Order: sequence, then C-alpha cells, then structure tokens
Amino acid sequence: MTLARLKHIQYVKNVDDATSRQSFEYWLSEHLRLNGMYWGVMALVGLKSLDTLPKPQVIEYVLSCYDAKSGGFGAYPQHDGHILSTLSGLQILLIYDSLHTIDDKRAQITKFIKDLQLPDGSFQGDSYGEVDTRFVYNAVSSLSILGQLTEDVVERASQFLVRCENFDGSYGMEPGAESHAAQVFTVVGALAIMDKLHLVKHDKLATWLSERQVKEGGFNGRPEKLPDSCYSWWVLSPLTILGHQNWVDLARLGDFILGCQDEEIGGFSDRKDNQTDIYHTCFAIMGLSLADHELYDLEAIDPVYCMPYSATQKIQKWPYAGRE
Amino acid sequence: MYLCLESNAKFQLYLHRMFHNVKREKLNQEARVAKIEKDKPKIESYLSLQSLVFEARQNHQYTVESLNKTTDLLMINPEFYTIWNIRRETLLELFAQKQLDKVKTLEDDLKMIMVLFRRFPKCYWIYNHRLWCLRCLGQSANWQVELAIVSKLLSVDQRNFHGWHLRRIVVHNYEVQTPKTPQELLSIYIKEFEFTTSKVNQNISNFSAWHNRSKLIPKIYKYYQEVDSEFIDQAEDLNKYTQVFSSRLSLLQHEIKLINTGMYVDVDDTSVWLYLYWLLSDEFFTEHLDKQVYQRTLEEQLEIIRELNELEKDDNGKDNCWCLKTMILIKCLLANVHNNNSAPSDLLTDEIKSFLEILADIDPLRKGKYLDQLHGKAELLY
Repeated sequence: MTLARLKHIQYVKNVDDATSRQSFEYWLSEHLRLNGMYWGVMALVGLKSLDTLPKPQVIEYVLSCYDAKSGGFGAYPQHDGHILSTLSGLQILLIYDSLHTIDDKRAQITKFIKDLQLPDGSFQGDSYGEVDTRFVYNAVSSLSILGQLTEDVVERASQFLVRCENFDGSYGMEPGAESHAAQVFTVVGALAIMDKLHLVKHDKLATWLSERQVKEGGFNGRPEKLPDSCYSWWVLSPLTILGHQNWVDLARLGDFILGCQDEEIGGFSDRKDNQTDIYHTCFAIMGLSLADHELYDLEAIDPVYCMPYSATQKIQKWPYAGRE
Repeated sequence: MYLCLESNAKFQLYLHRMFHNVKREKLNQEARVAKIEKDKPKIESYLSLQSLVFEARQNHQYTVESLNKTTDLLMINPEFYTIWNIRRETLLELFAQKQLDKVKTLEDDLKMIMVLFRRFPKCYWIYNHRLWCLRCLGQSANWQVELAIVSKLLSVDQRNFHGWHLRRIVVHNYEVQTPKTPQELLSIYIKEFEFTTSKVNQNISNFSAWHNRSKLIPKIYKYYQEVDSEFIDQAEDLNKYTQVFSSRLSLLQHEIKLINTGMYVDVDDTSVWLYLYWLLSDEFFTEHLDKQVYQRTLEEQLEIIRELNELEKDDNGKDNCWCLKTMILIKCLLANVHNNNSAPSDLLTDEIKSFLEILADIDPLRKGKYLDQLHGKAELLY
C-alpha cells in the first residue's frame, strides 16, 4: 500500500470547508478548533504541503483565539484560555515564523502559563484544578517556544515528573497513575526540553515502549489493549528521543499505519476500516515520518516538539546561555 | 495537545471529533443531503443557545435561567469546556447571593453528571466538573457514595483510566476528609486491595488492577506492622489477611502464587509478566529479604518458567518469548545475588546469548533490542 498523498492533502483542506460547516458536528467541535488547526497544519507539514493553507487567515484565526482575560489562548474566539490550546496556538505561530505577531502579549501569555504551576511542580490546565503530565508538557513546551523557561520552573516540573514514574519504568498522568504511552511522550518530551533526560531509566522505559508493538504491527497505549495509529507518534517519539528506534519493527509499523488510511477520500483512522478524523490523520502521518521520512517522502519531524526542524531550530535551547 | 479523547459513536461524517473504534461509513448523495437538511435546525438552535450563554456572561447576568441554559448546552456537548467554566462562575455567584442552596444544587449537578457519564464515559471535562463539585461540597461530600459510583463505572469498562483516576482521588479524599486512625485507613486500603483482587479474578489481563495493587501493597504492609495486633485480630475485614501481610516474604509468596496461576492461564499475557517482574525485582521485597530466601525464590520461579516453556515447546514447537525474557531476567538477578552486583558484561553468559538469539528469531518485532543486548549495547537488567 502506498501513501495516498493528494487525498490526504484534500482531506485536511476539507476539514473547514463550506460543506463541513453544514454538519451539526462541525459546530459541536469548536472547543477543539485551535488544536484541530495544529493537527491539520502538522499533517500538511508532514506532507510537505503547508502552502495549501492561506497563511494570513491562519495567523488571523490564531490571534482571534487569544483570551485577554486569562492571558492564554482558547480553542475558538470567546472561549476561555487553556494550556492545551495555548500550546497549539504558539506552535502554529512558530511554524509560520510569526511569533512576532504576539510581541505585545508575550508577558501575559508567560504569566498565564507560569501561574498554572502548583507548589508540587505540576501544572493545572486552567484555573479549575485538573492536573496531568500532559499539562506539564504543554507548559514546558510553550515556555520553551517563548524562551521563558526558568531554573525554578524546570527544577519543580522535573521533580513532579519523576514522581509519575512507575515500577515498569514508564509514566502515568499523575503520581500513582498507570503507565500510558501518550503520557510517556509528554514526560520524555518535557524532560528533553528541560535537559533532564538523565532522570529517565532509559533501557527499562525503552523496553516498555518496544512492548507496545503488537502482532498487527501497530502500537497500543497500554498492555493488553488494541493498537491505534495515534500511538505511532506517542510511542515512537520517546523511543526516538531515547535513541532506541531500532527496538521496534518500523516497516511493520509503516504498513499498519498505511492500512488505516482512507484511500478514497483521504484521512487516517485509529484502525483499518474505521472512521477517519483529523487527530488520527495528524499523528499517523507524524508516525510515518518518524519511522522513515525518506521512504514515505515526508518532512522530518522533531520528536521532542512535534514540529518540523525548520521551526524548532529557532527555539533557544535550555539551559540558556548567560542565565543567572 | 489533546490525547485520545474518545467520544460516543452517534455521529457520522464528522471530521473534527476524534473517533475510536467506530466503523468507517460513507453516506451516499441522498443521505448526505437529507442529513444537511436535518442538521440545519439543530445547528440554528444550538448556536442561538450558545450565544445566549455567552451574552449572559458578558453582561454578568448570573441567574437561575442562565444556569439552566448551560445545562441544556452541556447535555448536548459536554466537551465544551468554556461552558463548564461559565456554569461554575454562575453557581458561585448564585451561592454568594444565596439564591440557591449550595449543597442541594451541587448534589443535583452530581446527578446530572451521572447521566452524562453513561453517554460520554471518556470525557475529561465531566470528571473534572464532578471533582470540582465534590471539592466545593467539602465536608458535605459523600465519598463513600463516590466510591460505589466509581466501582460501577469500572465494572462497565474495566480499563477506563478516567475511572481509575477518579477512584484514586476519591480514596485519597475519603482518607483525608476527617482525621482517620491507622485502623480506619487500613480498612480503606484493604477494601481497595480486595477490589483489585476481584478485578484480576474476573480478567487476569487487567493491568490497571495489577498496577494499583503494586501501589497498595507497600502501604498496607506498613499499616499491618503499625496497627495494634489485638485490633486486627478482632476486625473481620483485617484478620483474614494477617498471615499474608505478616512479612514481606509471605506477601511475596502469596502474590507469586496468584501470578503463577495467571501464567498458566495465558502465557502471552503482558500484564501478568510485568507484575511478576515487580515482585521479583522491586526494592520493597529484594532489599528486605534474607539473601538465601531470595535466591531460593528466584530459583523456584526459574524452574517453574523453564517447565512452562517446555510445555509451550511441546505444544507449539518453539520457545515462548515471555518465558525466555523472564528467564534472562531471573538469571541476571541470581548472578547479582551471587556476586553482589556483577559488572553488566559478566551477565552476558553463553546461555543468555543463546536465549537472545532465539528471541531475535521468535519475537522479530523487537529483534533490534535483542541484538543490541547480544552485542553488549543495551542493558540486560534494568
């Protein structure tokens, strides 16, 4: 099976077209729109077709999601700021080399993010108290994009992440929670950004990650669960960061992912012959790129940030030179 | 960045929602047109409801009427996190103005969430709001009822990690709500321990339950040592475990017996092996066992697994990869017991090399790892 490249490009374009606006479900998904835009942008970046989207409108949309009351980005104009959509907004702006458009808001955005850190080093998603290792990644990655990491944030956040480690060497959503592959990406990604990878039990974690590949060739997120194309990214990115990509069968993974595409109208689903969506489309393509971007003629993706290297090379690496 | 937020399967032709386990279905032209017609009024009423809610917030109109509008909206779309925020703002305002009875209203919200749980069992925001309500209720929160509810949730979907997450928080809050004696805490933990036992008895593959068990055991053990033994003897829920928790060794033997049964039920079950690794290598056991006893335990397990592997060879004509992986682990642990932590290169004996060669053959997905271990490029024991 080959990659139905043109169909996928068309699929991403169709996500926000007039026809799709006629369906009730389109309007039920406003709360995900900025995240959805990031997924669409990354799918197109992977397919080397970002010019398909009109840059001025994309930037305008991102800026319209800024929530001055909180200082973060919401998912849609008028929606409240949340760390999830804030990272998506910053990622899109960086990918389009347009961070200067928020020069007047940088201080507020930075404050919004730093204020979400709790005394134990964790981050809540907004002011309502939900804590999750996902939000640590969102916050650390966002601050890194803004060049606003500090010793204090880094030390406390990394100590919290260490407490989320389990006996299997892997990580859960909070201390005590079961290991989950998607949380592993957020923990390893955040530690990589903070230059704290020595806190990870490398071979033990990489073993756990390699066990996620099941006989179908795809990855599951936890032991004894079904494979799902989105885990191609969540599992392979930390494996790549740890330098153990060769501990899984990348060719078999590629075949599994390609089996999840809808060759007729484009897009990827969680498993073969299931309903496609933009989320799985993004992370299936990201997984293929990590597996072998040359073979599939895809853009190379930075496993730490889930953005193209052309964008992430602009990020100032921690520890910052000349810091106190 | 969102992680697999799973939703109900009601909607088709939907590019924005994240689908899990929903069969691909394509509407023909006729059905597509019919759906557009059907959706039109739904979109109109949804959007007008939404603008009323936003308008009320903008004008700081926090009334019972505006609260009810958020209910209507959330019953249609509980993923709309901003509406939950508006609802909470409204509730706090109405409580402050004494327009609504706080306890009664929050209890109603908990009931509303039960309805949503059934329709959207994997929506983060619903769990979030439930916890917010419980926090607001403070001393009036009934954590025992919560525990019953979350048990029900986990009986419907045994691996639902939202459910397990809620359960941990509920237990924690129940612990701290009123000062508890060590005896009371022990009773809570034993109930949780029994809950994991019932889950793995129903389904040996339920790693969520094994995981929770690994977190509970050290806590329970500590309390069995601290709590007055006379009290334990008289407490029916506790005295049946006195022997099991009398020492780390008896605990280890009890758990190993359970897991050995599991290995025979399904030799390829990842969760069973992971739990065995915890038992055989975690400091909670290894640091406190007599060296010879530990060595004997490892040797016994090695023998059981070797026999199991022979059975597998008889049945399938080849070695079982979990048996071989575990035999490598145990042999390395034994080498460390003998030599007080061997150098990593000493662990790579000819026998282990031959195991790794077989593994590269029978478990080709992970061939790269076995070859790295064979060539001394990856640890054997971690």
